[in-house]
Amino acid sequence: MIYFDSAATTLQKPPMVARAMARATATMASPGRGDYGPAARASRILLACREMAGRLFQVEEPERVIVTTSATHGLNIAIRSLVQPDSTVLLSGWEHNAVTRPLAAIPGVRIRAVRAPLFAPDRFLEELEQSLRGGVDVVVCTHVSNVFGYILPVAEVAKLCCQRQVPLIVDAAQSAGVLPLRLEDWGAEYVAMPGHKGLYGPQGTGLLLCRRAAGEPLLYGGTGSASRLQEMPPFLPDRLEAGTHNIPGVAGLLEGMRFVGSKKPGVIFRHECALREQAAAGLKRLPGVEVFSTRGDCQSGVLSFRLPRLDVGQVAEFLGSRGIAVRSGLHCAPLAHGTGGTATSGTVRLSFSAFNTHQEVERFLQIMGRLV
Amino acid sequence: MYYLIMCRSLTYGQRVANGLERAGIPARILRSPAEISPSGCSYSVKVAARNLSRALTVLNRLRLPYLGVYVNSPDYGYQEVTL
Repeated sequence: MIYFDSAATTLQKPPMVARAMARATATMASPGRGDYGPAARASRILLACREMAGRLFQVEEPERVIVTTSATHGLNIAIRSLVQPDSTVLLSGWEHNAVTRPLAAIPGVRIRAVRAPLFAPDRFLEELEQSLRGGVDVVVCTHVSNVFGYILPVAEVAKLCCQRQVPLIVDAAQSAGVLPLRLEDWGAEYVAMPGHKGLYGPQGTGLLLCRRAAGEPLLYGGTGSASRLQEMPPFLPDRLEAGTHNIPGVAGLLEGMRFVGSKKPGVIFRHECALREQAAAGLKRLPGVEVFSTRGDCQSGVLSFRLPRLDVGQVAEFLGSRGIAVRSGLHCAPLAHGTGGTATSGTVRLSFSAFNTHQEVERFLQIMGRLV
Repeated sequence: MYYLIMCRSLTYGQRVANGLERAGIPARILRSPAEISPSGCSYSVKVAARNLSRALTVLNRLRLPYLGVYVNSPDYGYQEVTL
């Protein structure tokens, strides 16, 4: 199979990920729940995971790296911590349901979205600055659109938010592992990311980077600390991590991050962009295919396209029947499709990883040629 | 006789123990004894009496906070040390 759905989950992982998970399952118990060897090993792997994330994403203190089950989990914690009922939240127009649904669940929240054309970061910043003048309590911005691979100017967004003292939540679901993420430089309150995409960890893992010590728990329960207290401990990471950790997942995620660290995110990014450019150029040569790409430097290794007379689901099914895995539809991001003008049709999405090759893209283009 | 450097969480305790080990000071993380942990489960780092002064200097240099220092003696059990 040729796998082009890494924006959902990277399927091919470094071999060490599975080995570390198997070893953790066999030899590690619950961190912080005992002084014996298997518990101590689990504690060590958990700290190593936090420290590795701290080095990759510029978090000085490992306790401010929270282990979650997904980017969605982290975003829910961040939103619950910062967004009060009846507050006003400003979003980019490219957000995922992992952001919009938790917000919709808070009573009375007013949601405003920055609408600017695709691949126009300067226009986006102008619109954002304008919108911030209208009184905003929290900003949520994705770093990279999961539909179009559009890289939003998050560093500049963070600067504008800092100037106006508006807390910022960054959804790094599509950027962690490929683009520089710098929590301290940005000054974002929270950065949420999955473990199972660009960090090459297993499903069911994620990280939430916290700038401050506080935060509202989403789960309540045992932490192995301050056990007589009937509220969650006031300190991180315990405050936001109730219950036994997914230690096999943490061990796998650590190996995934080591892989990313050794390859260098910039190298992975350039490789994925080269594949995306090859795919975009080939698709544009096919008659009638609408390709959402830019020659600028604001697109990652994610590419959307559609055909005028074919349903995107049929295209994905055709490709799947020929051994090519892609994702079609709305990609859990109706807001992004609305902003991009594809809300009615949806798109077919290709998303690459470090393990994809130019030969695979060539094969995909041959099969698309037959379909068109 | 030994000292316990009490930390508010496992993660802090690990950082304290690792920081001391890297500075060449033997340190072991353990769950704090109940009599010095009024809110229940916490973590302490055990260091030998002869290393305490150097350990605290290292922790200050690394800017690693701790909740308190306790001395263990056979006659009186654990007593907090005023620094």
